[in-house]
Formats: sequence, structure tokens, C-alpha cells
Amino acid sequence: MANKSWKPSIIGFMCNWCSYAGADLAGTSRIQYSPEIRIIRVLCSGRVDPKWIIKAFLKGADGVIVLGCHFGDCHYITGNYQAEKKIKATQEILEMAGLEKERLYLDWVSAAEGMRFAKLVDQFTDKIRKLGPLKLDDEKRKKLTAALLTVSNDKVRWVVGREFSIIKDGNAFGEKLVPYEFHEQIKSIIKDNLKKSLIMAVLKSGPKTVREIASDLREPESEILKQLVDLMRLDKVEMGGVKDRNPLFALKGE
Amino acid sequence: MGADSEEKRVGVFICHCGLNIAAVVDVKKVAEWVRKLPHVVFVRENIYTCSETGQAQIYQDIKEHKLNRVVVASCSPRMHEPTFQKVLEKAGLNPFLFEMANIREQCSWVHGHDKESATLKAFDLIRASVSKVVRDEPVEKIRQEVKKEALVIGGGVAGMNAALLLANAGIKTHLVEKNPSIGGHMAMLDKTFPTLDCSICILGPKMVEVGKHPNINLITYAEVIDVEGEVGNFRVKVRKKPRYVDVDKCVACGDCAEKCPVKLPDEFNRGMTIRKAIYIQLPQAVPAAYLIEEEHCLRLKTLKKGGKEVCGLCLKACERDAINFDDKEEIIELNVGAVIIATGFEIYDPSQEPKYGYRRFPNVVTQLDFERILNADGPTKGELRRPSDNKPIKRIAFIQCVGSRNEREKGAGRYCSRVCCMITAKQAFMIKEHEPDVEVYVYYIDMRTAGKGFEEFYQRGRKEGITFLRGKPGKIEEDPETHNLILVAEDMDTGVLLKNEVDMVVLATGLRPPQGLVELAQKFHLSRSEDGFLMEAHPKLRPAETPIDGVYLAGCVQFPKDIPDSVAQAGNAAANALGLLSKDYIEMTPLHPVIDLEKCIGCGLCEINCPYKAIRVVKTEKGKKAEVIEIACKGCGVCGASCPEGAIEMKYYSDKGIEAMIDALLEKKEVEV
Repeated sequence: MANKSWKPSIIGFMCNWCSYAGADLAGTSRIQYSPEIRIIRVLCSGRVDPKWIIKAFLKGADGVIVLGCHFGDCHYITGNYQAEKKIKATQEILEMAGLEKERLYLDWVSAAEGMRFAKLVDQFTDKIRKLGPLKLDDEKRKKLTAALLTVSNDKVRWVVGREFSIIKDGNAFGEKLVPYEFHEQIKSIIKDNLKKSLIMAVLKSGPKTVREIASDLREPESEILKQLVDLMRLDKVEMGGVKDRNPLFALKGE
Repeated sequence: MGADSEEKRVGVFICHCGLNIAAVVDVKKVAEWVRKLPHVVFVRENIYTCSETGQAQIYQDIKEHKLNRVVVASCSPRMHEPTFQKVLEKAGLNPFLFEMANIREQCSWVHGHDKESATLKAFDLIRASVSKVVRDEPVEKIRQEVKKEALVIGGGVAGMNAALLLANAGIKTHLVEKNPSIGGHMAMLDKTFPTLDCSICILGPKMVEVGKHPNINLITYAEVIDVEGEVGNFRVKVRKKPRYVDVDKCVACGDCAEKCPVKLPDEFNRGMTIRKAIYIQLPQAVPAAYLIEEEHCLRLKTLKKGGKEVCGLCLKACERDAINFDDKEEIIELNVGAVIIATGFEIYDPSQEPKYGYRRFPNVVTQLDFERILNADGPTKGELRRPSDNKPIKRIAFIQCVGSRNEREKGAGRYCSRVCCMITAKQAFMIKEHEPDVEVYVYYIDMRTAGKGFEEFYQRGRKEGITFLRGKPGKIEEDPETHNLILVAEDMDTGVLLKNEVDMVVLATGLRPPQGLVELAQKFHLSRSEDGFLMEAHPKLRPAETPIDGVYLAGCVQFPKDIPDSVAQAGNAAANALGLLSKDYIEMTPLHPVIDLEKCIGCGLCEINCPYKAIRVVKTEKGKKAEVIEIACKGCGVCGASCPEGAIEMKYYSDKGIEAMIDALLEKKEVEV
């Protein structure tokens, strides 16, 4: 796929204390690595907002790599644990939306690991080269728009943001939850939300009937209808006229 | 300033860094492209931007071209960000209306093989910085009062020296030591190289000085359990274990230990002699007092299990009434402005490599064991006798680089531990001084004797008749009858396979990070180097500082080093701490979050996730809203990245700033290469 002149666009988010310092060490040690990566410095990997990642893909990034401190070494104690939950959820959202989750990668690099930094960047760049360009067609744009809506959704952000503390300290009733089971719950919330987001992404191009949306998303009509009812209750979608005796649904306020 | 309505006038300074950048990145071309970027009103190339003239130039250009934002494209911001921020301040600009594009460490130095890509990347990085800088907003300073006390962790030669320097300068200094006495490894040494000073004779007076100093609060048999706060105001919790002996009453007469029925190996003599459950760590201990070891004392063990008050022989023996079985663990809370970490090292345990037979063969010892054998207070009272049968030593071999310079090892085991060659030279020399007829063989890879007077000392040893053999024995075998040891090694200089039977073998063991260093590092958020020792702020220019302001390093906790180097670094650490503690307050710029109260619904996710309890939900007229505690905030931004309502924006590392960088980095190139 990838033609020879194509160079992948890769955005890297590095935390100031470990991975950015590791990248600097790679520099002072003159360890050579692939030049496609463009690094953005943040104070902590936990600062990386999933919105940034999806927006980067929507702007044409072929890959996004986030590197933080090793567990236990985080300058901000638990920031990297928070990052892990957020990035993992973002990967799952990409996968559920039918995109390659491999385009988003998370790992840990200490300030002393210049060699490891270069190796991880080379490996990731190679992987993206093999995957080829993201090629933002309408279909992908729609999926990414839905993903962006999902990572911006307050409920999704709440459950993902709460995962680390709930697993560590238990829920409001002091009950310890099984990490795997709790994560499955989060995934189901995400999935449900993504479906709604996909419908909203489809409706961005104008009012549509249930059948049109269903065929676009390759989902059963009953499922679409159920989500539309939800969306109407959430005040996000409204009836927007009639087409061939079928009701049209439109984004509210558009 | 910084208002949206104001015209953004960005000045970009692109550094050649001599040839460090310019040899790879086509700076001229990049400058040409940068000139065309929106908001950029001025571009200058510098050979060295960080130089005095480079800095003066920025100052002048800010004034002359009425710049209100500055981008410097040069090295890592971790290197020179503060340098340039100061220039902005001097020129009357807020130091956060500034960005650095790292076109050296993360561009020219790592893409030397692909100049074209490096040039494009340099431009991208600058374009992203310009894009962010026009969205940056000023960050105001807040003042932090400096608590004029210091904490030194570790009471070895480095920690003691650091504490004395601070205390002599009038700073109240707390010295925390995990052992019952200060002194560290140096107190265990017989002599020091290359001057052959008696180690305890030069250290002892220092120990006493530390113990008696009015400005030093000595806390022994204790460890740091919790750290909060930041530069100028660290709040440290120290757990002091109970000694069960009143330090003020005890005169270290030793009557108690004589009566104590519990015999244990004496750690100070490396297990080659015995001590009691009530003991003193070393004869010169400071504080000069005995203590009871809880885990081994019969009475304390029985009491712990809910039993009766048994034994008590020490209680009866003590005429000064110093023993107190009701002693309790104490939690001491300290509030200090600066911290010096000097927790030293641990020696490599050669029993990990069975080929050396350490712990299997009684006559294989480490250098530290042998120090005690040489010492008048040691197991043989300073006579050259071997452990298995107490017979005088006639032939002895040293093996260098045990647990050092081993490619199969990880971390500290891979490199030269710097001190072992000279310790061997010293010990071999001492053997010759004790008993000139003893045959001494040193098996080595390279003798490394760099240091003042070191080479001369080593050469003197050669003249004394010490045999140096280049080659390392593959393994050590023991004659089970005589407990003599047989070494087979190839002499690399002649190629001859040599078989050597000796009475005793001394292993020159490398240095390792001490146990518990990982936990201590985590408490202070310090990074460790690949070898596991603590990482300095800069390997050349800031060897005693850490990336964490107000935390400094002294001695082997940073890297293996000898006594003079440890003492020198302790001086450096103390001078740095003094510089900080001489101020009444320091200025800080917390990059804290700003809450949009219209959007905030008071859900409390930020409060739950904040690692520093620096954000909380409070009741306001408009309902529950988040509130930031600026002084406690460290600016990580975890709250901002997960706020369900998008109500939190971080200072400097803002959403709009970062998203502008993303856009700029992914914008289609409109440049001709």
C-alpha cells in the first residue's frame, strides 16, 4: 500500500520527567532513530486527553505514541496509572469503531533509558509504515468523529476516569470490584455510547430515516431505533420531517 | 499583557549550537520558512543562543522589535528553559509567553543520517512552538516561604560531612541514620588509600562532632517513611525504632552485654565474631550507647507473644538504670526546606555466583570482610589469620572485578566500581606491611588507579613484591582437607595456564545501590539511573542536584566513588542546600488548573484523582464546584485530562495550546525542500 515517498505522520506525547528526558538522553548519546516522530512535551502522561489523540487522527496523524514513567516512578505518583486507563479505553474505542487500535501505542520509558526510547520509536514507526497511511475517507472520518464524541462524553469520561480509583479503593459502598469485571462494565458503557455517537456522526450530513442509518452503520434497525429513542430523551436528536412516509431524525439544533 | 485583543508579535531565535545543530539542520532554510509563519515578526539565527551575547541579543530584540512572545529553537527545554525565561523576565515579559523547540537533542543529534528529514522536522517543531506560544497566557508567581532547616538522610562519611557543613553555617540539621550508630561503611574500614590513614581515627572525631553539634539533631535507628510538600517546605515523617536503652543514661560500659545470654553474629565484623542481643554497633559508636535488638531479645520476644517478663539479666546488670523495656517506636515529623540524600551503597554479594565459592568455602572472603580481618578490633585482632582454622596466612590471592565489569550483569554490575582496585592495592600493601613474607597474588583485568596519589601507591605495591597477574580465574576450588583454595587462570601476558594454591582468597566486590533506595526514590519522586543509583540533575554541571528542587545527593547514592569524592560531593550538596536556605522565600510558578465554574458540575472526579489533594469540591452559591489549592498543586494535569465536563483548563499546558501544536505538526507542508 504505502508508496515509497510516503512518510508516516507520528505524534508523540512525552512526559517531562521520564520519557522526554529519555528522549533527551537518546540525543546526548547520539542514538539515531526514525525522524518521523514529532514530540509534544506534557508534564505527565496522565495529562494526555483522549480528545487530543482522536483529534490528531482527524488531522491526519497516522500514529500516536504516548510514553510515560514506569509504574512506581511517576513524578506525580499515580499519573501514569491514570494514563494507562485513558489510553487503553481510547484504544478500545478505536477498535470498536472499526479502526486500527495499533495506531495508538502506550509504553513506559525512564529518564535513563535513551536506548529504549529510540527502540520503541523505531518499532512504532515501523509498525505504522506497515499499516500504511490512515487515509481519511468519509467512512473513517465518520468513525473518528464518533470516537471523538465518545471520548468527549461526560459519562464515558467519568467511568474511565474513575476506573483506577475504584479498583484501588473500592466503590462508594467500599466494595472491592474485580478489575476485569469492572472493565467489562466500562466497555459496555463505551460501546453503547459509541453507537449513539456513530448515529450522531451519520446525522451530521443531514436528517435520515432509521433504515438509512441502519444500512449506513450495518446495524439492525431495532437497535438503531432504540438508540434514537435514547438520544431523543438526551435531547441530542429530534424528529426532522418525513420521507416516503418514514420519519426523519435530525441532530437537535442543526 | 497577553490579552487576546493584543497583537501577537512573535520573535523566533534559531540556534546553530556551533555545528551541533547546523551540521545537520539547514538553519538558513528553516529561518526562511519560519519568517513566513503567521504572527512571526522577527527571526534571528545565532551561533550560540545561550551565550552571554545570545541572551543580550534576545533582550535587545524584544525591546527593539516590540516582541511579546518568544520562541527559542535550540537544545532541550530541560537544559536552558530557565536561562531564556530569565531573559524574558528581564525584558519585562512574562516567562511563560515563551516556548522552546528542541531541535538538538530530539532532532539534529538523532537524525544525523537524514539531513533533509531533520530540517523538515526542525521546521515542524518550530511551527508547533509558534502555534502554541501565541495561545500561551502569562502565569503569575506565588511565594513559598523557605523553612530554614535541613534533613540529611544517611550518616556515612558523605552525610556526616554534609550535615556538619550545614550545621556550621547555622542551619538546624536533622540527620537520619538507619543503623544504631552513624559512621557508615567508612567506620568498617581499617585504613584508607592511598595515604594509609587509620579510617576510624580520622572518622571518629567527625562522628563525635556530629553527635555533639548543637545544630544537629541526630536521629539514629530510624528511617524516612513519608514525604510531602516541595522545595522550601518538605514535611517528612521519620520512624524511630525503639532502642530499649536510654541513650542519655547509658555509658557504654558493656556490663549488660556480658550478661546477655543471646549470641548472634556481629554484623559489624561481617559475622566473623559474635555479639549479644544487647549490643553496641562499634566501639566508637555515636551515640555511644547500647541497644536491644527486638527480634532476638528473649524478654521482648516473650512479651510480644503475651508471655511473662523473662530473663532481664541486662536489667540487673545495668547500674545506671538505663534499660527500659517499655520503650516505644516514635514517629517524628520534620519540616525542612532542603533534603540531602546520602544513603550510600551496598557491596555486591558474590554468593550469587557459585563459582567463587563465597559462603561455601570459609576462606573465601570479600574486601569488606578482609578489612575487618586487618583491623585491630576485628575477629583476629588485626593478625593475618584465616577464618577456617585461624592459621596464619602464607599465600593469599585477590580476584578483581567480582560483580563489576560483567557484561552478563545488568546495571551497576556492568561497569567499573572505581574503588575496588585501590582497595586491593591497599590491602595487599597492608599484608606486606604486617608480614613481608606472605605471598600476595592479584588477579586482574585492568588495574584502574586514576586519582591523586593512586598510581604512585600502586607502583609502590609492585615494588614491595606483590604479584599482579592479568587474568581472572574461571572458578575457585577448595581442598576439603586443608581448606586451601585452588585457582586456575590464564596469564594473559604470557598465555600460560597457571595453577595456584593459596590459603585464602579475597574477592574485590563491586558496589550496588542500597536496599530500600527504590522506595526512598519514589517517596521523593527521584529518578534512578540505569544502574539503580539515583540520577543527578546534570551529569557534568549539577552532579549533586536532582531534578527535584531542594533535594540533593551526596556520596555513593549517586554512583560508586571513593571517600574524597564523596566528601567533595557532600560539600557541593551542602552548598546548594545553603543557597536555597539563605533565602526567606522562593518564587514558584505553579502551572495549576483553572476551573470554568459555568461548566463545572461539582462531580468530584478531579478531587478523587488528584495525587496531591490539591483540588476539592466546595459548596458555593451556584452549587457544588471544584476549587484549586494552588500551593499544593504540582500541575500534572490529570484533572484536566479527565474532567467529564471539560471544565478544567491547565495553565501553560493548555488544551488550546496542545491542540494548536497538534494542528501545526500535522499541517500539510507548504515548503519547497
